[in-house]
Amino acid sequence: MRALGGWRGHAWLAVPLRLYLGVLFLYAAVHKVADPAAFALDVATYEILPLGLVNLTAITLPWIEIVAGALLLAGLRVRPAAIVVAALMAVFLLALVLALVRGLDMSCGCFASQAAESDPISWRTVLRDLVWLAMAVHVAVFDRARLSVAHLIRKGVPP
Amino acid sequence: MPWRRACLEAAALVLAGGALGLAANLVRSDPLPWRAAAAYETLVPCPEPIGEATPLDPHDPALNDPRTVLVSALNAAESRSLPLVPRLIIPYDYLQEVAAADVRQVAAARAARVVVVGDGQRPDSGEQLARELAWRGIRNVFFVHGGAPALAAAHGGRP
Repeated sequence: MRALGGWRGHAWLAVPLRLYLGVLFLYAAVHKVADPAAFALDVATYEILPLGLVNLTAITLPWIEIVAGALLLAGLRVRPAAIVVAALMAVFLLALVLALVRGLDMSCGCFASQAAESDPISWRTVLRDLVWLAMAVHVAVFDRARLSVAHLIRKGVPP
Repeated sequence: MPWRRACLEAAALVLAGGALGLAANLVRSDPLPWRAAAAYETLVPCPEPIGEATPLDPHDPALNDPRTVLVSALNAAESRSLPLVPRLIIPYDYLQEVAAADVRQVAAARAARVVVVGDGQRPDSGEQLARELAWRGIRNVFFVHGGAPALAAAHGGRP
């Protein structure tokens, strides 16, 4: 197990994972920012948050995704950004599992709003989110900011 | 970056993203109120029959087989005008599940096959009832393709 953790390829493997997660979170935020009312309805459909927090979540969550996604993509403050992404994935997973256990037939709300047919929740969605959670943890642990803005700053950008 | 500092920075990222979201919402032409004025009307899907039922041609001789139970999904008056006399009448309601007593009645007939005839519209009430019966555990369930109009064309209407 220690040998697996000490594999030197982890830092390089973290690069595509970081870029993938960055693009993913920016993409996921697009429809939520474009139509926060529809996203608020998605949030309400999960029936987890009290009514007083539904709109506030719909207003703020997409921008947290944008900040984390942009930082991952740029390779700045990678570990904090990856921690945010991992925490968000954990929250999404909990919401998904609760919705599935209660038998709610609904849209995930992850990449589109309201059409349950287009992105319905299922145990496959849970598996998908688990993979993304694992990716975020990997980036948080192993990323060394290779191929990143932080790396360029450290090296000094040539004039 | 040490984990403790990374966690603190992650919390700062969440706050920054949240603040950005609140600011962006303020400058929108249609800002979402921070707190919903009324509860969201989340969609509750109608009960959806998900069993498998096979379409049966209205000319199929199986319709006259004594081991076949013909079930009408129409109301009593409409069922009386069918060219073949249905053994059971279970008017189909799109908004309610089929009553357990009706399902038991179909099961008690111990037929080789159950053929449901409905209104032949889109969706066809016969197909819907057939699928729901199959979903509730009835085997060998068919529905008359085209419903009552097709059955009348094939067998001639009853006076």
